[in-house]
Amino acid sequence: MSKGIIQLCYRKIIDANSTKLWDKYVFDDTHQEFFMQAQLYHQEGKLKTYHEILEKNPQAEKLQFLVSTAAVGYIQQLNGIVPEITNAFGKLCLSFENFRFEIIQSHISDKQQHKIAIYFYSKPLLWIDTIANQLLVSHSTDLQEEHETDLIALQPLLNISSFKATPILN
Amino acid sequence: MIKLGHESKQQDISRKLVSNLINNCVMKRIDFLKRAGLGLVTAQIVACKTESVDPTSSSSSSSSSSTTTSGSTNTSCTSTPSETEGPFPTKTPSSLVQSNITSDRTGTKLTIKINIQNKNASCAGLANAIVDIWHCDAAGNYSEYGGTGMQATNYTTVHFLRGRQVTDSTGLVTFTSIYPGWYSSRAPHIHVHVYNSSGTSLLVTQIAFPEDISKIVYAQGVYASHGQADTTNAKDNVFGDGVTYEMSTVTGNTTDGYVLTHNIVVSA
Repeated sequence: MSKGIIQLCYRKIIDANSTKLWDKYVFDDTHQEFFMQAQLYHQEGKLKTYHEILEKNPQAEKLQFLVSTAAVGYIQQLNGIVPEITNAFGKLCLSFENFRFEIIQSHISDKQQHKIAIYFYSKPLLWIDTIANQLLVSHSTDLQEEHETDLIALQPLLNISSFKATPILN
Repeated sequence: MIKLGHESKQQDISRKLVSNLINNCVMKRIDFLKRAGLGLVTAQIVACKTESVDPTSSSSSSSSSSTTTSGSTNTSCTSTPSETEGPFPTKTPSSLVQSNITSDRTGTKLTIKINIQNKNASCAGLANAIVDIWHCDAAGNYSEYGGTGMQATNYTTVHFLRGRQVTDSTGLVTFTSIYPGWYSSRAPHIHVHVYNSSGTSLLVTQIAFPEDISKIVYAQGVYASHGQADTTNAKDNVFGDGVTYEMSTVTGNTTDGYVLTHNIVVSA
């Protein structure tokens, strides 16, 4: 009866307007890391923004990886729980192992322009049904067992990032 | 796609703190968080039994000690406030900050000792300089994302053979690693980026290796299947103009490992 096995992906955006402590730490430290690492690619200091640097030097794409090192310690502090995405009880309920870090925009000296995203990829979920704007999912993908379920609301920045059809049971 | 290696545990993070990067890294708190994390992960099949770990719950407190509600005397007879269960975010250094950068890579042990000297101070040791190094593994691969940078990564296995240390009062940084391998059309090398204490770049350079020692290393162990380097220092497009200032001193043997020492002069 299930629709398939899915992964949800939450794209968390952090910028100068972010107010949570975790977000501020990530904002501050990834901007400092961008300032430091970008110097590999603009040693004359003429290029200021991430996109200017990338346009002149495609190798600067590695900044996505290099700057992510400043966020890793904070991502590890989340203990594998996707932030902010909650079930119908308002509790965090998605586990993750994989993430991706993105520099949306940055400027070596104007920190206000710094904006990054962290994509959190959930562990596989069994997508059972959709009720109104909520996905009914199970954290167990074992079709033979009774499983506990969660309702997770569809919302901006939350995407279904992969799908695998489940076998039809007789 | 280049395989990513296992990151060392938080416990390995160097205690050397870069003043404007790091501030208070509360290791006990991180240990606690990691233990809590094990519990959460193993319980994931039982849906949503975990308490909220939303970091917003801690935003009223600056760092680590806000959960302590016992052990002190409450003299004002006001209700002890309930505390949201952690984790609480704590200031933490870049995952690059570690002295043992081996991670899951195998190879002949190499201790890397780099002295940073200040040309503007008669080449005296430069204290508090930030030194980044990175090099390839025995097979010639770097730790980095794939070509597009769009690849998701396990948060516990982020990089290998990349590290950051801050020079001591004599200008010295020390890393524990493995002897770098080689890749096509480059002589064996280590990349170095030296910054001042505020993160402003002072120098980007590379360290060259004595060819006689590389030949010994590449003939044995995990290096043997990859064979000898295909590019000499003389034919290298970086070192080809001479390695007078880039050549390191390497001593040791394949059993006990090698020690590399090298002086880098910057204008600070």
